[in-house]
Amino acid sequence: MELHILEHSLKVASIEKEGIQICTHGLMKLAFLASKTRCKFFSLTETPEDYTIIVDEEGFKELPQSDLISVADATWLALNVVSGGGNASSSQPIGVTKIAKSVIAPLADHNISVFMLSTYQTDFILVRERDLPMVMHTLSSEFTLLRVVNGETVAAHDLGVTNGFVKPKLVPRPIIHPLSSPSNMFCVTSLDPDTLPSVATLLMDVMFYSGGSKELGTSSEDSSHIRFFSFSLIEGYISLVMDEQTAQRFPNNVLFTSASGELWKMVRIGGQPLGFDECGIVAQISEPLATADIPAYYISTFKFDHALVRERTNINVIIPKIQQFLDECVSCFQTRS
Amino acid sequence: MSGSKPDILWSPHHPDRYVICDSELGLYRIGPVGGTETKPGTLPLSEETAATLLAINSDTPYMKCVAWYPKHEPECLLAVGQANGRVVLTSLGQSHNSTCKELVGKEFVPKHARQCNTLAWNPVDNNLLAAGLDKHRADFSVLIWDISSKFAPETSVAAEKIRISTVDLDSSMVVTKPLYELGQNDACLSLCWLFRDPKLLLAGMHRNLAIFDLRNTSQKMFVNTKAIQGVTVDPHFHDRVASFFEGQVAIWDLRKFEKPVLTLTEQSKPLTKVAWCPTRTGLLATLTRDSNVIRLYDMQHTPTPIGDETEPTIIERSVQPCESQIGSFAWHPSSQNRMVVVSATNRVMTDFTVFERISLAWSSTTSLMWACGRHLYDCAEDSAEGAESTVEKDIATKMRERAQSRYGHDTLQVWRNHLLAGGNDPQLKSLWYDLSYILYVSHMKQCAEDMELKLQGNKQSLVYSGIKNIIRTSSGTTESRRCWIGSDRQTDVPRFSSEERCLALRLCGWISRGPDIDVETFLRSLEQEREWERAAAIALFNLDIRRAIQILNKGATMEKGDLNLNVVAMALSGYTDEKSSLWREMCSSLRLQLKNPYLCIMFAFLTSEPGAYDGVLYESSVAVRDRVAFACMFLSDAQLPHYIDKLTNEMKEAGNLEGILLTGLTKDGVDLMESFVDRTGDVQTASFCTLKGSPGEVLKDPRVQCWIENYRNLLDAWRFWHKRAEFDILRGKLDPSSKPLAQVFVSCNFCGKSISYSCSAMPHQGRGFSQYGVSGSPTKSKVTSCPGCRKPLPRCALCLMNMGTPVSSCSGPGKSDEKVDLTRENKLSQFNNWFTWCHNCRHGGHAGHMLSWFRDHTECPVSACTCKCMQLDTTGNLVPADSS
Repeated sequence: MELHILEHSLKVASIEKEGIQICTHGLMKLAFLASKTRCKFFSLTETPEDYTIIVDEEGFKELPQSDLISVADATWLALNVVSGGGNASSSQPIGVTKIAKSVIAPLADHNISVFMLSTYQTDFILVRERDLPMVMHTLSSEFTLLRVVNGETVAAHDLGVTNGFVKPKLVPRPIIHPLSSPSNMFCVTSLDPDTLPSVATLLMDVMFYSGGSKELGTSSEDSSHIRFFSFSLIEGYISLVMDEQTAQRFPNNVLFTSASGELWKMVRIGGQPLGFDECGIVAQISEPLATADIPAYYISTFKFDHALVRERTNINVIIPKIQQFLDECVSCFQTRS
Repeated sequence: MSGSKPDILWSPHHPDRYVICDSELGLYRIGPVGGTETKPGTLPLSEETAATLLAINSDTPYMKCVAWYPKHEPECLLAVGQANGRVVLTSLGQSHNSTCKELVGKEFVPKHARQCNTLAWNPVDNNLLAAGLDKHRADFSVLIWDISSKFAPETSVAAEKIRISTVDLDSSMVVTKPLYELGQNDACLSLCWLFRDPKLLLAGMHRNLAIFDLRNTSQKMFVNTKAIQGVTVDPHFHDRVASFFEGQVAIWDLRKFEKPVLTLTEQSKPLTKVAWCPTRTGLLATLTRDSNVIRLYDMQHTPTPIGDETEPTIIERSVQPCESQIGSFAWHPSSQNRMVVVSATNRVMTDFTVFERISLAWSSTTSLMWACGRHLYDCAEDSAEGAESTVEKDIATKMRERAQSRYGHDTLQVWRNHLLAGGNDPQLKSLWYDLSYILYVSHMKQCAEDMELKLQGNKQSLVYSGIKNIIRTSSGTTESRRCWIGSDRQTDVPRFSSEERCLALRLCGWISRGPDIDVETFLRSLEQEREWERAAAIALFNLDIRRAIQILNKGATMEKGDLNLNVVAMALSGYTDEKSSLWREMCSSLRLQLKNPYLCIMFAFLTSEPGAYDGVLYESSVAVRDRVAFACMFLSDAQLPHYIDKLTNEMKEAGNLEGILLTGLTKDGVDLMESFVDRTGDVQTASFCTLKGSPGEVLKDPRVQCWIENYRNLLDAWRFWHKRAEFDILRGKLDPSSKPLAQVFVSCNFCGKSISYSCSAMPHQGRGFSQYGVSGSPTKSKVTSCPGCRKPLPRCALCLMNMGTPVSSCSGPGKSDEKVDLTRENKLSQFNNWFTWCHNCRHGGHAGHMLSWFRDHTECPVSACTCKCMQLDTTGNLVPADSS
């Protein structure tokens, strides 16, 4: 397994709902006119609370300064797991599940806070730049560490930060944030960048005018409906996460769908904004899912985290499973101590 | 896919068909322009060719890439990769073949939709079609489909299928299970099957090039690189692969896959297509965006004698097939260096053949060869010997022939050299006669046998300095008026004579010796050579009109003689010195119509006033020596130097070798020779001539040294090494300063002294060999030990004998004079016994042994030494062209 440390220096920001107007120019440029900027990594996720932006430093310059925009003060680096040369044919678990045990759990064990972004193409694990030596140290046993420099992949060397950091004791993850599951279904999809101009107006409408009265009228009838839309354009690849109703607004054959055409159910994590310092939140969710071999997407936003699991998966099965796992951990911890 | 760039594919089997794909597929047939009337629907592609649209297929929207089925049947089957990752088989034109019907319309659908970037048919197993797709988190990016596979519905998938797609498809035509899935969680941007094994697939993945082996799909060979687009294998060199990234092309060698063997100079705009020429080795064409030129890179491995790692030489050039910007191009599969180019917009097509670079080589033997494409042209000089060839031979050919006939080497009869030169160049004839007279006269003087010439020693150099200087020193000129010989009629022609003028006449060849001007011997020799007119003129100038008439008569009556000479003789006999006679009047006007210049000047002489002989002196077709001799006889001291100076300058300017008579071999002579060399390039004559007689100062002239060196180089280039050696020997005799010092010494391994040097210096050599057990008769014995320290000399690697020099002929000290005369018998040692050794491995032995060893071997004769000694010597395998 290879762990690629990508060269993007990322900023995570939140734009308040009423602040979106002042940012639309920059966001549209980043989303639809990628050739006019030097931005290589851009993600916009709308939740009921805010818009979360993940963007590299080049792209960050396109955004205005405003009180309505809050920026997480750290610089983040994206990690990407590539299966490398190994076993190609075996059917592997999809997405976050695959990396839960190998990446997410060890990082959580070392108190490294992570920020997840799953896309149609891959999963990005964002870590703070300052945590990188520790990340590399933690993961070097499991992975071939490679760093992308000027587009070329080169071997990264463990910086050897063992001094002062003894292997932390395995802390069970005692805090469980409240989980909720909205009723609408989501699809994770993509489209051909060449066809982007033809759906640009539609995308703009979805991205920036979701609060419009027409939309509100239809969606408000079901209170458990959640407004969630994610657009990312990373290294030329477009990924979209939207609910079933929004997807139906797109013309035929524009969106890439899986052959199975499956839909995904969302699990929202957190009742209060989660902040950036707490560790192990992703691990709390992904570990039990991995144990149960349930494929999942995971998208962190500025305030809350979102996991997507297959529609067929009974959400009520998962939550107890997570609960059960945690209980086990707690009891295990208790018995040890 | 409107607005996306067009592409061209040539039919794998029909050399006249190709497909253009942009928003739709168009099949064209290319053919010659049919006469004057153009059929409707044909598009001119070039001056000779036009294309006809055969079929259009617009069934497949969202085309991203197309690949032509490589099998003969069905011939027009295309695989189209779409934006959603589906691969559709479609066809162009009608084909009623049943296999075609089965295949056309078949779709290959990946699990997760994403763009299909590239398609590649397996060149051997034609049922295998590799598709390269964009990245998906849970899917593979390289899918290999088996187009012959029947749809085998898996129950689980079948249930889901109902939902999939918007287009209602006949499910029997949809295949969802690829034969192989490779490259998980990665993107594939380009693909090609490797020729060296049809189970190997080279893929340009997201950040690396990977080689997948279908026999073991869990393993791959890969290299991290940015250059992952457009991977393509050189059809002529199956280990060579090109790929690109933005503006840079990387060339890879699959045998050394760690890094590109070379990268081509980066272009400012991103590349769109890179393709090896299928009909020409090592020719790579590249196209960048928004460009109207195609750049060509000609990569040729130049063999080097030493197997060093040398980068191939790359010759880069651009061709511009059409005015507009190029959308794409495709090499013709079989027609040499031909391609079809389609413009970026409006589908304007051009049929274009890249003109091959011409490589040209001029051999040292004047034959010229050039190669263009697959043609080799040889241009040799017309070797029509003997016959009057209309074109004069090139000077290099002449020099080569002359070198072979030992031109310049006749030092005894110097004049004969012009015969060695072919004997048909009047200037060379004049030159060598001049030189022979000069040398003869100077020899005479040096021997001081000729007591009649009481010239002082300090005047000797005058001979070399030519008539110009001789005349200048002239003094004591006497004027005389003499009678016509055989008649008592007094002439009013004054004749001048002095010692110097006499010497000049000798140099001109008119008289041989003595103060008396007696030209009879000369006239006789001219008669022998059947130069009647010249002889008659000279007789006349010596006031012997009767002899002149007699000569003309003789000329007329000889076999094949010209009867007109009799007429001239008749005219001559009517000579009268009456100023206003009819004879005089007619002669002076009609003489100009005479073709022979000597006949012409005879009448000019007879009809001109005394002292005003311009008709004679400036008749340029008369040999310079005759005119100068004439001037020496009939021009006064005032007129003569003026005329000589004028003539000298004329000769110098024209580079006329006859002028050497005037200038001699002096600085002036070198000037003259310089303009001769400038005009003709004949460094051979210049070298020999300046060597021949000229004093040291002339030889020191850098021009002279330059000619000599160039002539030596020429001889080397012709591999006339023996001739060059002869020339060097001759040069060494005439110019002792040019003798090279000994450059190579064999020194003893133990004491470091030169063995040959100490050989002659050692006083007690007898003890030397007897002590070291060289038995047998002394004549056969050799010095096999260092004469300095008495340690044995190295052994020959082949015969294992100690090397050494035969002592028998080794002359004792003090007799070194004899060594100068190294004829074959007197040589210290035969070449076969010479010391030779390799400068690389330092093994060696007798030259003869080594030569015979390397005739059959490449490696050093010393066991366990793998040095390829002979191959290190680039000239070692050449043979002299003049094996004399």
